[in-house]
Amino acid sequence: MTYHPRKGLAALLLAGSALIAPPALAQDSDTLVIARSMDVNSLDPSRAFCDTCQFYLTAVYETLVTLAPDNQSLVPNLAESWEVNDDFTEFTFMLKDATFADGSPVEASDVVWTFNRLKNVKGSPSFLMDGLTGAEAVDAKTVKFTVDAPNSEFLNKVSAPYTGIINAEVAEANGAVSDETAAEADKAEPWFLANSAGSGPFQLASYSPEAELRLARNDSYYGEAPAFSEVVVTQIQDAVSQAQALETGQVDIAMQIDPDTAQSIRSGDVTTEVIPSYNFVYIGFIPGAKGMDGKLTAEVRDALASAIDYDGMLDFTVGGNGEKQAAPIPNGFPGTAGLTPRSQDVEKAKKVLADAGLSDLKLVAGYPNDNVYGVDFNIMMQKVQQDFAAIGVELELKPLTWAVWRDELGAGEWPVTAIYYAPDYYGSGQYVAYFGMIEGFPWVGRASVGKPELVVNPAEADLYAKALASSGDDADAAYQELGEAMMEDAIIIPLVAPNLVLAYRNDIAGVRYSACCNLPLAEITRN
Amino acid sequence: MLAYIVRRLIAIPFLLLGVASVSFVLSQMTKGDPLAALVPERMMSNPEIVNAVKAQWGLDQPLPVRYVTYIGNLLQGDLGTSFTTRRPVSTDIAERLPATLELVIAAMIIGTALGLTLGLLSARFRGSATDGISRIFALIGSSLPIFWSGLILLYIFSVRFSIVPGTGRLPPRVTPPPDVTGFYTIDALLAGDLSLFGQALAHLALPAFVLGWAVTGIITRIVRSSLIEGLSQDYARTARAKGAPERTVLIGHALPNAMIPLLTILGFTFAYLITGAVLTEAIFAWPGIGSYAVRAAASLDYPAIGGVTIVGSVAFLLANLLTDIAYAWANPRIKVH
Repeated sequence: MTYHPRKGLAALLLAGSALIAPPALAQDSDTLVIARSMDVNSLDPSRAFCDTCQFYLTAVYETLVTLAPDNQSLVPNLAESWEVNDDFTEFTFMLKDATFADGSPVEASDVVWTFNRLKNVKGSPSFLMDGLTGAEAVDAKTVKFTVDAPNSEFLNKVSAPYTGIINAEVAEANGAVSDETAAEADKAEPWFLANSAGSGPFQLASYSPEAELRLARNDSYYGEAPAFSEVVVTQIQDAVSQAQALETGQVDIAMQIDPDTAQSIRSGDVTTEVIPSYNFVYIGFIPGAKGMDGKLTAEVRDALASAIDYDGMLDFTVGGNGEKQAAPIPNGFPGTAGLTPRSQDVEKAKKVLADAGLSDLKLVAGYPNDNVYGVDFNIMMQKVQQDFAAIGVELELKPLTWAVWRDELGAGEWPVTAIYYAPDYYGSGQYVAYFGMIEGFPWVGRASVGKPELVVNPAEADLYAKALASSGDDADAAYQELGEAMMEDAIIIPLVAPNLVLAYRNDIAGVRYSACCNLPLAEITRN
Repeated sequence: MLAYIVRRLIAIPFLLLGVASVSFVLSQMTKGDPLAALVPERMMSNPEIVNAVKAQWGLDQPLPVRYVTYIGNLLQGDLGTSFTTRRPVSTDIAERLPATLELVIAAMIIGTALGLTLGLLSARFRGSATDGISRIFALIGSSLPIFWSGLILLYIFSVRFSIVPGTGRLPPRVTPPPDVTGFYTIDALLAGDLSLFGQALAHLALPAFVLGWAVTGIITRIVRSSLIEGLSQDYARTARAKGAPERTVLIGHALPNAMIPLLTILGFTFAYLITGAVLTEAIFAWPGIGSYAVRAAASLDYPAIGGVTIVGSVAFLLANLLTDIAYAWANPRIKVH
């Protein structure tokens, strides 16, 4: 074989030109590209439960009501109007003329089927249907729900994207079941990973786990057509890489850029907005943990909470880009307006510990070794460690993988932990249902490790029932009392409500943060 | 030779069964909540959901029953369903393995070409500036953590100077080529789409270089030391005495003798990279098997852990076999029995 230097050179040049080919440019593209570290656990509305699921489901399935851009008021979605009885136990929705992506009409029977499946499949978001005793199609366009006890938050719950209405006929044909046997008989989850059956402005085009989620415009959408024919969510793990992809124009929106990284963006083609979020990170005390033997009383927990330098914590964890939060209910949610965040009081903390004979208290904190909403849990817990040291409490830090953390949490291996919360919908009841010291509620189990008498606060059950049986100012007042009671419990100590960065290319408009739905894709346009 | 290969191939399924059993037992013994990937943190205290999920995934069965079911399914080619992706593990692996193979093969080509060239130069000009520069370049590649070199090179070549595109296998706005081999470069060529080929190659270039650079060090070192040893052997002296130029002594005599240790290293490096390209995959958002393995391990996704272990084992066993065969090819004195 004869070697031709010129041909070799030509081949090299060809390969070289391929390498320096400019990346596909965003201008005029009919495709919206979003960078995100995806946390998808399912794309089945009745089983999914994740931040990515929130905006996927919002784009593909439609709820009866949804949250307005003010992030507080509910507005019609598939239901054009609704009625609620005086004691908040019956909810009647009148549906508008809408169609699923296959052209069939959205009917009351689909709504009933969807809600029954959500309840019976016993998936992660099934708790939204807790207390549902009746779902009835009054006529083709009217549906009525009954709950077992007053629940003024039911309307807010049905704005959560997990309650998006499914085309019952299509889903049933692919293995979905809605009756009481659904937990075992429903086999539709794999189908939902590759297909969708909603009435939203987009449809699922393809999904490759932890690589790419592709949505295609629903061309037969009955409402206003979205601006983009395609939305691609591409997996980019960390904030720095997301920022780089945004600067080069490879993506249009980067969803998980923290304020620090946002400051490092130099490109003039990128807009960043720092806005408050409804997410928060907190430490939780576990008085029932091994070796505590009644040491972590409410007074001691309160003293430990007083040792924390909350202003310093904000600087330390998010460079000041966040808010302090009083109770385990996010700022801006019902009942939080009158709550005052805790402040540091080292002398009080020392005195309480000395009076309790705990001047040389040693504690262990087990927490997930993770970075959530821009907060590095290791850095956050080092700050807690420093602050506790100032009152003579030695805190040993134990960063763990999620699986091990969960295992040890259940066994009460350590008395301090740290974790986070993002809302499923706008409403304070979800926080009481999770953090309230009410017998049988999740955090009573976690904090008491089988000894509920250590932590249960009997007043909270009555206050919660009162809040759910009222609305408006009365509900706000009840939630404020609940917030104060949860602060006195001193089990959940919110540390930071981190701000959120909306980062997008300058030619993109309509990017906003929604408390229920994360990022409403159908509202986004290219200028 | 053929009988030897057949014997080795027949042994593989038995070895894999052993590996699968050990992997099953070890992952069950690992401390952690097996429901970590199946039930979100907020729902882990909800007994109704926890029990429903346990029943659905067979986690309510005693360990021996689960083992028998797992091995039984395995014998029928069923690797189970991943707790995290909720899809058959075989589907996940079939989707991700070609991405890793494409990256690793490209990295091996770059690493071997660089390592061989630098090793030859170092040995030929031992003690000179060329030797020093080659060794430093190789040393830097081996010593720099990939997460650092990857990010810095990505910043320089992609963000700062736009010489290569960013992360991923293709620009997100581009539709991948029809799936034939799963290698985007080859599939683009098969589809006759040169522009797509260029884009796939451009996306592959930097991660393959980063990974290839990391293995350059060891290849350079092996080639250099083997060649230097070879150059001092009697056969080299004889060749020189017969008037052979130094280049012929190096390429024609010393290099073939350096192939044996090099093949050993190449075989193992290749198998290691199949499951070890994790950091490169993470930085370049490369949807391969490495990142899948890490995620599976962290979330105690037993079926996925088992699947990846089996793929890794196959890679090692085949790499081993191919290395042994290559020995015989490289050195006719070695016979395989």
